[in-house]
Amino acid sequence: MPEGIFCNKKAIDTREQLNVVLGDTGGKQYYEEMNHLDVDKDALWATIQKTFKSRLKTWLEICAHCGLCAESCYYYLANNRDPKQVPSYKIQTTLGNLIKRKGDVDNTFMQMCMDTAFSKCSCCTRCGVYCPFGIDMGIMFGYLRGLLFSQGFTPWEMKIGSGMHRIYKAQMDVTTEDWVDTCEWMEEEWEDDYPGLKIPIDKENANIMYTLNAREPKHYPQDIAEAAVLFHLAGENWTVPSEGWEETSLAMFAGDWQACKMQVENVYAAMERLKPKRMVVTECGHAYRATVIEGPYWAGLKTGKPPVESLHYVEWVAEALRTGKLKIDPAKKIKEPVTYQDSCNYVRNGGLADIPREIMSYIAEDFREMTPNREHNFCCGGGGGLNGIGRYREQRNIGFKVKRDQILATGAKLVVSPCHNCWDAIRDMEEIYHLGIKWTFLKPLLIDMVQIPEHLKPKEE
Amino acid sequence: MFKRILFATTASPSCDNAARVAFDMAKRYGSELIVFHVLGIPSRGFSRFVTDVRTGEIVTFDDDYLGWVKEEMKNTYAIQLDMHQKSRIEALPGVPHTEILRAARKRDVDLIIMGSTTREEDDGTYTYRSATGSTLQDVTKAARCPVLIIGRPVASVWGGFSNIVFGTDFSRSADSAFLFAYKVAKTFGCTLHLFHAYDISAIHSGKIMEQDEIEDNMIEAREKIRKMYIPRLKGFDNYEIEIWEGIPYVEIVKFARENYADLIVMAHHTRKPSSEKTLLGSTVEQVVLRATCPVASVNRPDKIKDI
Repeated sequence: MPEGIFCNKKAIDTREQLNVVLGDTGGKQYYEEMNHLDVDKDALWATIQKTFKSRLKTWLEICAHCGLCAESCYYYLANNRDPKQVPSYKIQTTLGNLIKRKGDVDNTFMQMCMDTAFSKCSCCTRCGVYCPFGIDMGIMFGYLRGLLFSQGFTPWEMKIGSGMHRIYKAQMDVTTEDWVDTCEWMEEEWEDDYPGLKIPIDKENANIMYTLNAREPKHYPQDIAEAAVLFHLAGENWTVPSEGWEETSLAMFAGDWQACKMQVENVYAAMERLKPKRMVVTECGHAYRATVIEGPYWAGLKTGKPPVESLHYVEWVAEALRTGKLKIDPAKKIKEPVTYQDSCNYVRNGGLADIPREIMSYIAEDFREMTPNREHNFCCGGGGGLNGIGRYREQRNIGFKVKRDQILATGAKLVVSPCHNCWDAIRDMEEIYHLGIKWTFLKPLLIDMVQIPEHLKPKEE
Repeated sequence: MFKRILFATTASPSCDNAARVAFDMAKRYGSELIVFHVLGIPSRGFSRFVTDVRTGEIVTFDDDYLGWVKEEMKNTYAIQLDMHQKSRIEALPGVPHTEILRAARKRDVDLIIMGSTTREEDDGTYTYRSATGSTLQDVTKAARCPVLIIGRPVASVWGGFSNIVFGTDFSRSADSAFLFAYKVAKTFGCTLHLFHAYDISAIHSGKIMEQDEIEDNMIEAREKIRKMYIPRLKGFDNYEIEIWEGIPYVEIVKFARENYADLIVMAHHTRKPSSEKTLLGSTVEQVVLRATCPVASVNRPDKIKDI
């Protein structure tokens, strides 16, 4: 069967193809064509032989089928403990079988793998924490997604997302011009409230290079302004690059390893160009993981670290509050009960569990931990790209139940969620389940709470 | 007077009054008119789902949907578009106030015209970033050009009026508003009322002011107006000064009504309001909701100088 116009094995790397696929409303024709997509068994097996190495091999083999991973998985819990949702079952019936059959599988099987990899797993890696052998099914599903991508079995929105990264070096169609213009616009708009506010672009040797999520300039530019204001009030010597400013990676969710590499190389190139002392990433979980933790391996950096010391936004905030660069007005601390969403990618996978607690100690009077919390906290339900995939909306909404119940159990009225995906997930959760809660990023909270140094206050009229 | 006007509309009946004014003005001044509709708030991260602002439904945004929205708009404003050739329709997804401000800045518009619906915000709006606020609040706060807000049906439209009320709080933004009010009054040869409402709303917190104190302050305000604004009315003498005491927005609305005002010009502060003020809405917002004539919110001198 010839490959489809919309759905095929080729990654999207031209604007024309991107617009073609975008134009297919809801991916209708895309998924229709997917039903006729052949599996290139030779290529698949060849890829597996090159990339499926000892760690994954061992994991698949030594699984004792003990079932301890079952209760660690929120899909299992949310779906009434359906045995088919046990992580070990999920991975053995997909990747496990794929290996056993040496890639000799058909379209139906591959689509089943896609449905499992994208709607029954958000790669939160919680199972890996609870498995006695440390077998991480989240990581294995990430690997499986890569195999699926190479064969064209990727959800519509993910295919588009990775295409965006290839073409625009960002997850949305924001050109360098748009980006720079938006920075200038925010500077103009917020200058009155914060005289002297600047968004320096391409400044060399700054202390901090700040990178973001493309949806901020695209739809939520005030996020950029808020970040600028906080750096300004903290007296930071900072900059943003005109290129390499976007550090998210839908390509990572899509399993497009090549695009992952291209994307992080773009950011690292900016680091090499501008030579900042450190990089700070906006409030986005997977961006941190992609650029700071996984990225060096994609880009082949022998140190396993990015060229420049890189921080998640919460680390910068904690430091600023700790050192007094930002001072909180005690009268403005959060009085209502508030809880914190531990995003998988920078808490469990990034090891930053202590930092949020430190931040909350400065800004909240009634902080309630979720149960469980820190590295043991559950995924918001929308990770791994799931928030954006229309085809799996229902499965996602069911998966929300675990996080929903966690939040309700705290009795909190506000959820602090410094991660774009978690923020979206909680918003959608609120729309569906009407919990009566509010949720927020850190930036708008801090803007309201910090004391403005005298010399930065606007002149009285 | 205005080279380029941006009429931000929800393309629904609630903006009909504003539409009438927008098209009428554009025709009168030969202005380029951009009929601008932000059709929905993008949801679900990077996906193509958009919550349509009018229907509240979640739609998949694509070229077809955009085309359909534009067709609808063309039908809604068919007659007006026919009469005024220099107008064009634009629609796009996004957070309404962000896109309106972005477009106004990019196209360098001289005036933004908006309708004010009585219940602009639903519960969801609070949670979409920073402060509480309707589209109106955010646009009037940040716009670099005057924003003309039409909330109620307007009997006489632009160019046919006789009374402008300029409400001042003596702030720097009020300076820009004054300049605008003056230029308009001068251009149309109508009466300019310089009005200040002396705020005694502290009375609600139990503070009772002596009548002498109130009247002294009112006299002081009158002097201030004489000093700050009158010298700048070069050769223009069709003006009146009036000071009333009370709750500012109530007094302005009353005064405008008594004097058959066709336009109220006020300053909107660019300062981010404290959270208490946001709940009540600033004076400008209250006036917009209650006045029987259009209200122009001005906060920067940038585009006024060009008039």
